[in-house]
Amino acid sequence: MSEAFAVATHGLSMRYGSEPALDGVDLRVPEGAVYILIGPNGAGKSTAMKVLLNLERPHAGRAEVFGLDTASRGPEVRAQVGYVAEQHEHDYGWMTCGRLIRHAAAYYPSWDHTYAAHLVDVFGVRLNRKVGTLSKGEARRLQFVLALAHRPPLLLLDEPADGLDPVVRNRAFAQLAGHLADTPTTVVIATHHIHEVESLADHVGVLREARLVAQMTRDELRRTVVRYRLEVPEGWQPPPELRTATLRRSRAGREVQWTLVGEPDEVTARLAGAGATVRDVTPLALEEAALAFLAEEGAA
Amino acid sequence: MMQGTLHPAPRGRDVVLEQVRIVGLSLRREALVAAVVLGVVTLVIAIDIVHGRAATWFDSDEWFVIGLFSFLVPFAVWRREKRFGPAFLWTLPVDRRRLALAKVFAGWVWLMAALACFVLWQLALAVLSGVADAETVPLVAFSGATAMYLLGSALVLGLRHPLRWLLGTAGAFFLLATLNEALGRAENGMARMFAWSGALRWAIYGPYGIDTLLSSRTFQSAVENAATVWWPVTIFLWLGAGVAALWAAASRHGERRRR
Repeated sequence: MSEAFAVATHGLSMRYGSEPALDGVDLRVPEGAVYILIGPNGAGKSTAMKVLLNLERPHAGRAEVFGLDTASRGPEVRAQVGYVAEQHEHDYGWMTCGRLIRHAAAYYPSWDHTYAAHLVDVFGVRLNRKVGTLSKGEARRLQFVLALAHRPPLLLLDEPADGLDPVVRNRAFAQLAGHLADTPTTVVIATHHIHEVESLADHVGVLREARLVAQMTRDELRRTVVRYRLEVPEGWQPPPELRTATLRRSRAGREVQWTLVGEPDEVTARLAGAGATVRDVTPLALEEAALAFLAEEGAA
Repeated sequence: MMQGTLHPAPRGRDVVLEQVRIVGLSLRREALVAAVVLGVVTLVIAIDIVHGRAATWFDSDEWFVIGLFSFLVPFAVWRREKRFGPAFLWTLPVDRRRLALAKVFAGWVWLMAALACFVLWQLALAVLSGVADAETVPLVAFSGATAMYLLGSALVLGLRHPLRWLLGTAGAFFLLATLNEALGRAENGMARMFAWSGALRWAIYGPYGIDTLLSSRTFQSAVENAATVWWPVTIFLWLGAGVAALWAAASRHGERRRR
C-alpha cells in the first residue's frame, strides 16, 4: 500500500566504497506527516534524501515518493519536492539571488510568485546580492525560499537550521509552521538537533550506522521509550526477554536506572516478575527518547 | 495523494528557453573578451586598410580557428556547472539526460550566434576594405563548427576531467614522439609519429578528415584516379559521430545511469 505513504523505501542499501551508507532501510513517511530523521553524522540521513531525489543510486532496494518510483520517474518526483540541501554553497555563485529565484521558477509550473516575494521578505533575502557572496545563514535562507515557493507536496530539509542564528531560526520554523498550515505538505527533516524541530514533529525515525533502528509516531515514542528506576536484590539479573529492549542502563548500588522500549505496563510486569521493585516510571522528552536509540554507553 | 493531483513537470520548451537564457548569461564574460579581441583586430585591420595592406587579412584559413573555438566552447558552457555528483542542476524536475542536452543545445545556439556575428563582421570588413576576391568564412563552415561543438560537449559531459584527458593524450603523443627521436628511429620525432600514426593522419587530412570537415571543401586525392569525396558526406559522418558521442556522454547522467 505504497500510496498511503508520501515516502516509502524498501530495503534501501547503499555504500560509498566499502562503507555502508544505508543498510536495508525501510522508511515509511505517511502523507501529511512531519517526520524527523535523526542520527549522528554519517548515519545515512543525507544519503537517504539524495536517493529520494535520484541524486544517488542505491545498490539495492528502491524508493517511492507518492507512489512514484524515484529511479524511473525522477523528474515527476522532483517536481513534488522542495529540497534544502545540507551543503549551503550553491553551484550558481555567479548569479544574483533574484536571478537564481527566477531561474528556479522557470522549472516549476506551480511556482507561486506572490508567495515567493513574501518568502523573500520574511527571510530577508537581498535579491541583488551574488549567491557566491552569501554567508552560510544567508544561503540557507535563500534555500528555504527556493524550496517553499512552489508549494511542494513534499519538503526534504537536510539540517535546515544549520548556519541560522537563533532569531532567524525561530523565524524560519515559524514560517515553516505557517506554510504547513496553508499548504498540505509532508515534511522530512534530517537533523541531529531534535529540540529545534520538536514542536513540529509527529513521526520520528532513527538512523544509526546506516540502519533504521526505530521508526514510530511521536506519541508512540513518548509512550514506549521510558526510564524505569528499579531497586533490585543482590546479584539480580535482568530478564532475558528485556535485554533486546534495553536502550540505556546505569547502576548505583542496588538502584538501577533503565531506559527500555516497550509497553510500560508489560515491561513493569516483567520486571516485577523477575524480582525487581519498580520505584519510578518516567516518560522522556522527545529528544531524550529519540537519542536513547543512539546511545551505546551503558546499554545491556 | 492521488497521482492526478501531483505537481506537473515543466514543459520542454520552457526548459530550453531558460537554458538559452542562463547559458547566455553565464557566457557574458567570455563574450566580452571576444568583443574586446575583435575590437582590437578591427582597429588593426582598419589601419591596414588605410595603408592598403588589407588583402593579407582575407586569405587565411579561419575555419581551423573556428573549429578549435567550437570545440572549446562546451568547456565554457559547463564551466560553472557541477556535472557529476548531487548538483543543483540535477535537483530540477527535468529528465537528467534531457536537461544536459538542453544545455548543450543552448550553448550551440549561442555558438551559432557568435559565428554569425563573426561572419558578418568579416564580410563587413571585406566590403569596407575593397579587397577583390576576399576569402571569408563560408556559411557551410557552421556545420563543421557544430560537429566540433558536439564532440567537445561529449568530452565535457562524458568525462569527469576532460582537460586532463586532453592534455594527457597530447602529452603522451609528444612523449612518444620524443622517445622515437631519442631512440634514433627518426630525425624528426614528430614527423615520425605522424607517419607512424596513420589513423591520426587519416583523421586530420584524410578524405573524411577534420580538414575536409572544417574547410567544407570537396576532397580530391592527390593520387591519380583516386575517388573524390564530396564534403557533405564528411560533414554528415562527423555530425553523426558527434551526436552519437554526445548521446553516450549524456547517458552517463540519465535517470537510470550506472552507479
